[in-house]
Amino acid sequence: MSTLELPSYRDQSPEIAARFARLQQRPVALQVRGLTKKFETPRGVVTALDDVSFSVHKRELMCVIGPSGCGKSTLVRILAGLETPSSGEVRVYGEPVSGPGSDRGMVFQGYTLFPWLSVKENVMFGPRMAGKSTSTAASEAREWIDLVGLSKFENAYPHQLSGGMKQRVAIARALANQPRVLFMDEPFGALDAQTRCKMQSYLLDIWKNVDITIVFITHDLDEAVFLSDRILVLDANPGRVSELVEVPVPRPRSEAQLFDPTFMATRKHIDHMMHPPGQGQKETPVLRLAVSDPDVV
Amino acid sequence: MARPAILRNWFLIRRDLPQGRRLALTVVSFLLPVVLWCVVSYVPWIWHPDVKIELSAEREGVTTVFTAGDHVSRGFFPEFVEAVRAENVAVLAAKAAGNPASGAKRKNQKLLRQLAPVAVEHGWLKYDDAQNDAVLYHLWRDLATGAKTSVKPVLSGENLDIIRQNWALLSSLSPDFSFRSLPDEPLLKIVPQGKPANPVYLPAPHEVIRAGMRDFSAEVPDGELTMGDRYRKSLRVIFMGFLWACVVGIPLGILCGVFDFFSKLFEPFVDFFRYMPAPTFSTLLVAVLLAGDAPKVALVFIGTVFQMVLVVSKTTRLLDPSLLEAAQTLGAKPRQMITRVVIPGILPNLYNDLRILLGWAWTWLVIAELIGVKSGLTEFIETQGRFRNFDRVFPVIILIGVTGFVMDQLLSWLHGLLFPWAGTAGALSRGVARVVTWPFRTTAAAIYGRLAAIEAARLAATRQKSP
Repeated sequence: MSTLELPSYRDQSPEIAARFARLQQRPVALQVRGLTKKFETPRGVVTALDDVSFSVHKRELMCVIGPSGCGKSTLVRILAGLETPSSGEVRVYGEPVSGPGSDRGMVFQGYTLFPWLSVKENVMFGPRMAGKSTSTAASEAREWIDLVGLSKFENAYPHQLSGGMKQRVAIARALANQPRVLFMDEPFGALDAQTRCKMQSYLLDIWKNVDITIVFITHDLDEAVFLSDRILVLDANPGRVSELVEVPVPRPRSEAQLFDPTFMATRKHIDHMMHPPGQGQKETPVLRLAVSDPDVV
Repeated sequence: MARPAILRNWFLIRRDLPQGRRLALTVVSFLLPVVLWCVVSYVPWIWHPDVKIELSAEREGVTTVFTAGDHVSRGFFPEFVEAVRAENVAVLAAKAAGNPASGAKRKNQKLLRQLAPVAVEHGWLKYDDAQNDAVLYHLWRDLATGAKTSVKPVLSGENLDIIRQNWALLSSLSPDFSFRSLPDEPLLKIVPQGKPANPVYLPAPHEVIRAGMRDFSAEVPDGELTMGDRYRKSLRVIFMGFLWACVVGIPLGILCGVFDFFSKLFEPFVDFFRYMPAPTFSTLLVAVLLAGDAPKVALVFIGTVFQMVLVVSKTTRLLDPSLLEAAQTLGAKPRQMITRVVIPGILPNLYNDLRILLGWAWTWLVIAELIGVKSGLTEFIETQGRFRNFDRVFPVIILIGVTGFVMDQLLSWLHGLLFPWAGTAGALSRGVARVVTWPFRTTAAAIYGRLAAIEAARLAATRQKSP
């Protein structure tokens, strides 16, 4: 087997380097400082997050990735205000976060559409809560539904939609509030591989057209590299920032880039960070077989 | 070995049967008890432990008197018949010996009335005129001469013989009834006749249907209640009790389900209270609320509301909490989370809970109507049951069952119509829902169109002004 020579993920072309320099100059949309979360359990105190600090710039798309149990979901729930940190603080455009609010949207893995509302009414929910009239909310909702390409289904109920369509509605619903930051907690985790690919392209399209900063939680390496400007890699037990990786893959992204050397280098680097080689690699015990088939080996 | 077709077609482990077969089985499930009832009632050699007496006789020196319509056990009946025969033999023996007993006028008058059930059964006498001796006297004559023949029941040869012998004696003294000219020596007694019957508590279907038709269409004197009135009264008690339980139980249940504060404040006591059977409060309720419907409604209320609080709070807690989190991230405030998320979210399950609780309320009906002044259908059941008129009791019991069942089926069907988004609606209820909601939908669409047009015009006007 020949080894493919990959460049280091740190080697950035001049354009990419300029791009990240520009990114750093943009205002900070989300600032996280010294975030620690401890849970009291019967077996003692468990530290889910330990001194996590990072910042996300305006219109950045950042993915958070890490092995299971690294506190990704806890992190995003704290950012959205659904849980309170043990210490540390979160600021959105300089304002400290306390509790959930419409300035931070959230897309959940389990869709969480209101089953008693039609697609349109689901998308209208946020604007209605903000006190907009039904007709204004409805006309706004139409635009967002149009953006995610579900105009034909605006009067359908969630139970009549496929998983991918449901998640598009959930994205439209979150965007309809025009939040300043959008959190997505493994939004495509429950979808099949093909739909997931399509949804990733959709998301990039939407992100291109809408002025929004996205923090995207995932455990899928390809997804993270494909979507992000930067990737926040977390360690498990306790959850700590391992590295903030700048993805050197140029935009606009396309599926063809999956085999780009820069893409593969980044992917390999993060993979090694998450699963250090030589660790946890157990030899599969040889079982007694009735028939040994040379083609299988 | 292949399974036989019947097993393959009808007995599938954890697999639904085709629609047609399910329907057939549903029909059979109702037919089966009815068929069983008919078999037990109409096949003479199945069960029938009693004899229903059609013609009876009094025995000398025995105080227990059986009249026509009474049930005696199958074992005792021959004994009864033999006792009467023995008395007849004694009378004949005394006569043959030449010294018949005397002073039997009074007894003979009573004895003539042995045929009264036959006369009433054939309509020759009215029920309330069964002691009309003049008519009965002629009945003896007609039966003896063969001018009339009894078919209900068919008289045995032995009895016809007795009737002829008695008539011979009677006619020799007087052609018409007069107490004076009754014979002084005892007449022969008619030997009891009867037919196999089931115990009085299991009347045959036709008897129940006949009694039911009579009772439900009966005209009653002023001031008394028809069956319809009683039915309405019973329904009112149930619905008022249930309504009050809903008014108190649903908000409380939702509060308990949403706020741990209310849950911990109310639920432990509610949980304790529901184990005290509601009927134990009946005397207390009558003392507080006096006679009338109030204590009855209160009993249904007490019997239902505590269950309701617990069930509703459980249903509320079952709502997917991530929906509430989603609503929070969309900017919903606590009050909006209850009115816009919790309440609409639990409605379909709440509706089903209420359906089950209404069935629960039904079970309190009889007890509620027994406390204080008896009323409604229960009063009827009680009274007729005491008289052992079970053929009149069964129709009322069946009526209560049918009402509950039909109501539940109707409500269950309405579920699909009311909550199309739950995805449980069949094609029929979806169609009905479309038709029913059509006027509302079109009106709403028209109003919305107007508003949108006004809004658009306003926007256009401001846009023109701004540059």
